[in-house]
Amino acid sequence: MKRFLSILLCAAMLLGTLAGCGKKSTDSADSFRKLYSSEFTTMNYLTTGTQAEQAVAANCVDGLIEYDKYGVAQPGLAEKWETSADKLTWTFHLRKGVKWVDYKGKEVAEVKAQDFVDAAKYLLDSANKSETANIFYSVVKNAEDYYNKKITDFSQVGVKAVDDYTLTYTLNKPTPYFLSMLVYVCFLPANGDFLKQKGAGFGTDNTSLLYNGAYILSTFEPQISHVFTKNNAYWDKDKVYINKITETYNKEMNTLGPEMYKRGEIDKTFISSDILDDWLKNADTKNLVSPSRSQCYSYFFCLNFDPKFDAKYEPDNWKKAVNNESFRLSLLCGLDRVKALSVSEPINPKSQLLNTVTPPDLVDLNGTDYTNIGDLKAITARDSYQADKAKQYAEKAKAELKAAGATFPVKILMPYNPSTANWDKECQVIEQQLENTLGKDYIDIVPEAGPSTGFLSAVRRSGKYAVMKCNFGPDYADPQTFADPFQPNDANGEGGGSYNKPEKVQGYTESNGEKTYSTLLKAAEAQSTDLSARYNAFAKAEAFLINHAFVIPYGLNTDGYQVTKRNEFDYQYAPFGVSILRYKGQHLLAKPMSMDEYYAAEKKWKAERAEALAKAKS
Amino acid sequence: MALRHKKTAAVEESINESFKNLPDDELFTFAGFDEAAAEKTGYSDYSYWRSTFQVFLKDRVAVSLLILIGIILLFAFLQPHLPGQRSATQIYNDASGMQIRNLPPNAEFWFGTNSIGQDLWSRVWSGTRTSLLIGFAVALSEAVLGILMGVLWGYIRRLDRLFTEIYNVLDNIPQTIILILFSYIMRPSVSTLIIAMCLTGWLDMARFIRNQILIIRDRDYNLASRCLGTPSRRIILRNLLPYLVSVIMLRMALAIPAAIGNEVFLTYIGLGLPVSIPSLGNLINEGRVLMTSAALRYQLFFPAIALSVVTISFYIIGNAFADASDPKNHI
Amino acid sequence: MLKYAAKRLIQSLVTLVIIITIVFSLLRLMPVEGYFQNFDKLDKNQIHAALLSMGLLDPLPVQLKNFFVQLLHGSLGNSLIYRPNVPVLDIIADKAPVSIFMGLASMAIALLLGLPLGTAMARSKAKFWDKFGTAFIVFVTAVPAAVYYLLIQVYFTDWLGLPILFSESDPVSWILPTVSLSLGNIAYYAMWLRRYMVDELNKDYIRLARAKGVDSKTIMKKHVFRNAFVPMVQYLPTSLLYTIAGSIYIESLYSVPGMGGLLVNVIQRQDNNMVQALVLIYSAIGIVGLLFGDILMNLMDPRISFEKKGGAR
Repeated sequence: MKRFLSILLCAAMLLGTLAGCGKKSTDSADSFRKLYSSEFTTMNYLTTGTQAEQAVAANCVDGLIEYDKYGVAQPGLAEKWETSADKLTWTFHLRKGVKWVDYKGKEVAEVKAQDFVDAAKYLLDSANKSETANIFYSVVKNAEDYYNKKITDFSQVGVKAVDDYTLTYTLNKPTPYFLSMLVYVCFLPANGDFLKQKGAGFGTDNTSLLYNGAYILSTFEPQISHVFTKNNAYWDKDKVYINKITETYNKEMNTLGPEMYKRGEIDKTFISSDILDDWLKNADTKNLVSPSRSQCYSYFFCLNFDPKFDAKYEPDNWKKAVNNESFRLSLLCGLDRVKALSVSEPINPKSQLLNTVTPPDLVDLNGTDYTNIGDLKAITARDSYQADKAKQYAEKAKAELKAAGATFPVKILMPYNPSTANWDKECQVIEQQLENTLGKDYIDIVPEAGPSTGFLSAVRRSGKYAVMKCNFGPDYADPQTFADPFQPNDANGEGGGSYNKPEKVQGYTESNGEKTYSTLLKAAEAQSTDLSARYNAFAKAEAFLINHAFVIPYGLNTDGYQVTKRNEFDYQYAPFGVSILRYKGQHLLAKPMSMDEYYAAEKKWKAERAEALAKAKS
Repeated sequence: MALRHKKTAAVEESINESFKNLPDDELFTFAGFDEAAAEKTGYSDYSYWRSTFQVFLKDRVAVSLLILIGIILLFAFLQPHLPGQRSATQIYNDASGMQIRNLPPNAEFWFGTNSIGQDLWSRVWSGTRTSLLIGFAVALSEAVLGILMGVLWGYIRRLDRLFTEIYNVLDNIPQTIILILFSYIMRPSVSTLIIAMCLTGWLDMARFIRNQILIIRDRDYNLASRCLGTPSRRIILRNLLPYLVSVIMLRMALAIPAAIGNEVFLTYIGLGLPVSIPSLGNLINEGRVLMTSAALRYQLFFPAIALSVVTISFYIIGNAFADASDPKNHI
Repeated sequence: MLKYAAKRLIQSLVTLVIIITIVFSLLRLMPVEGYFQNFDKLDKNQIHAALLSMGLLDPLPVQLKNFFVQLLHGSLGNSLIYRPNVPVLDIIADKAPVSIFMGLASMAIALLLGLPLGTAMARSKAKFWDKFGTAFIVFVTAVPAAVYYLLIQVYFTDWLGLPILFSESDPVSWILPTVSLSLGNIAYYAMWLRRYMVDELNKDYIRLARAKGVDSKTIMKKHVFRNAFVPMVQYLPTSLLYTIAGSIYIESLYSVPGMGGLLVNVIQRQDNNMVQALVLIYSAIGIVGLLFGDILMNLMDPRISFEKKGGAR
């Protein structure tokens, strides 16, 4: 018995020592290794709406145009393009000799104008459940009717191949931002014969895709790894500097990544805020960590004008409170956003602060960012947190609300999704900070965990919150996109945003019976040719929302801190779409950036960008 | 011979004497059956439970752990009411108004603070309280339902098929579906978690008891009992269950840590309690990420130690009690 | 016994139908939002189209009928969300082998180490092996698996120079995940075998055997071990068959492309076809496992019987 055990023990130890010889190291200057924690469900770029999955198309399939690293449009598969006088028809002249290749790099066909038409037809077939079709049919003529089967003749849809190398799009109405939409996956081409041949299996693995982009997905083993290798048949292959990208699956990426980076097994890892202090204290690692770049994405607090929550949280009392401007302003001025942001960004929370609903770098007027245009300029320049002012507003609100018959403390239901990292902690911080600033006899914030599955429909869409942190990412490069969440409903009670229903506010009515905000929006949308007038009008509408505290702007979105050999400032930039996921044109760093290097690089990029944009406009 | 005769004579005489005092009609009646007197013949001052406790009390380690668990329980529930204790959810700010983040253990914060400046000492106690509550509730339902169902399933042949199928059905409905539905309808909370865990928790216990009963059901002494017409209830209570006390005790003792462990697992897959309700599950899950960074490891160690102390205590107490409850060990 | 087994198997079919019907209906109670990864970016048309194509807009009985008709044609359908349009069986066939091999290996380790450990503990009550075993069991049961697996992974890979992540073609990368996987079972087997053996050792017939002069090796082997093993045997087929389900902790930590957590994952993503297929497979396995356990128990200890005999109730 004992002998048996000791033999086994010896065997185990022997195996262990043998294993010591198995250590391998592969390191190469032109290859990039990283981890990923969530496997693609599909690589069908015509149907998926998930950014991580669109990364395959971003690197493997080229579209009509692309952006450079400053966000200036450059020719892609289209060498040049023009618009008709009524701004409704866009004509693209395609590059000749671009090839589709399969996953082994073998040439299959040439990229022709018809490929864009075939892809659109696939996209608009509702049976294919495309998650991005709505973006396509929001602008292209007759596309929505075709999707809803109101028309069945595809030739009526506004996308046509005039000849093999000429493609036209006809739009519903003049759309100044149409060009920016073309980098999104729903406007990418797909070979019609191949689509037909693969049927439902299109994009289920790397063999069921055709490639015309910078990379080929040469290996796809679900929950093991993805390997992207450079496409040697690529039309612009001289601008592809990284030869191989290896992504390895690990569900515990955030726990194991830092350790694996230290052992040289990967070139990039996130450093979660929990262990950040530790990495920054250590002399070996402190110069490797830098922030990741913020995306064009916005967080803001919505005050709900149409509360439908449980009676125990006193929805009627909340309704009285939220319709009082002083009450809303007391929350706006009372919220210490920096403190709340420090939950997820403890080192430099101020860098995450956002004073407007629209984040910076979405659009610009000759190099001036939208957040600095018109009425938004003053809002961008200030910090809304002013404790003294908040207390004054609170006193005023107390008097006014008591007269209106409200009871104190006002219960404020603040739900959060327990599966979103740090959100619960953030709610606790906000609860204590606001109650301490404004007084526990004035407000009583009640954080509540919502269901982790079906959170949005159970909470936000059904109006079961009083104040909640909401988020929004742009659907196209135009200020209108950030007005969509607050868009009032039409006469049928449809088509509006599902966020906080500002049209239900009491008062703020124009002489024509319309709500002020609706009027402002309509005026802005009507400006479709003069960009300056358009942007200024949208800025006015957004400023109205913020100044009257319908919404409290909050912060940006980043992936937190990281160690990476990828240069954060030389990838293609666009506020929307998949450009930022592309490796084309990127160089690897010999050594990760430090914090200082990062901020210097960011400053340099911003200056160069303003210059490049101004130059592009002239 | 003479002596014997003399003695018999004396007895005869005394009997005759006593008979003389009786009235005639009582001379030839049946004596009534006196149950108490009948039991007296088999009387000994042996009491099963008393002996069990006596043997158990001899196990120093187990007794001290039992006391420890008692103290922990008492303290866990008293702690928030003691003076000088902090709230588990209160965030502490330093002089400049920023949160005291990731402060290592010191005189002020005995277990340090977490990443948003909450006191880990209170959180660990509050978490222990939540987890023990879950553990006890689930273990209790497991014991009551599990033993009842298990005994019926194992002993009554006619029910075997039916119960097997019920078991198969319930056992194969994934707990995840139930939890998701529950938290969708009722929002994630302690009671949601307890209900969902109770719904399926008793199944294993029932199956365990059933197998034990199957093994001893047809042993000769039970057959004999049955032949003598002993009612099922009595066989189960007197013949079967006492036999199983030791294994049941061990399982019960393990059920509490198992329920806590299950809660850790549910937190791991994202269906546990929100961080605003501290539990050992979410404290450990939060701490796991910190294992690779030496300076912050304390945030994992304290809740892990709390969990280990609870688990080890129950394990050792359970084993000692199981040993003690075997009558063979009573002599 | 055979007749009993056959009857129970037939009955199991009914049970399977009940299970799948219940699970099927429960799945239809799930929130609609869960079917979409990007619910917020979709408009009404798209949500309607998607629900329609997944057949979720039909009344429940119709959906159920369609499902069973499809099942009778021998098809479990295609995955809907986990990997859309890929046949469910292909996905499972890809993943199951790794989990099965790793599970079998760890089970073998667990039996080879756990049973001897349990025996040694029972034999040397309160001596070295008992103390060692108790310490080991206490450690494994007391420290949450999520913690000690990670501990082993981070420190042992460094110490032994093993790769952090699993790779199917690299045999040394199998060592740590397999061994970690078996730890819990070693403790489980040892703990229960010790418990049953100690109970058995205290019985009168063992004393009699001792008094008769039977040597303790024979007593252990022929009487104690065999009798103590009976209650454990019940769990063997189930746990063997459940190795197919894999371990969520181990597989996430080491990136093992197995079945671990697959069911949880597809439930959370509400891939109904995958959930139904997996529930069907797992319950079939579970039911067969329970039956085999009963049969094994009967073989090990003929006194245990399931069939009606005279005098039994």
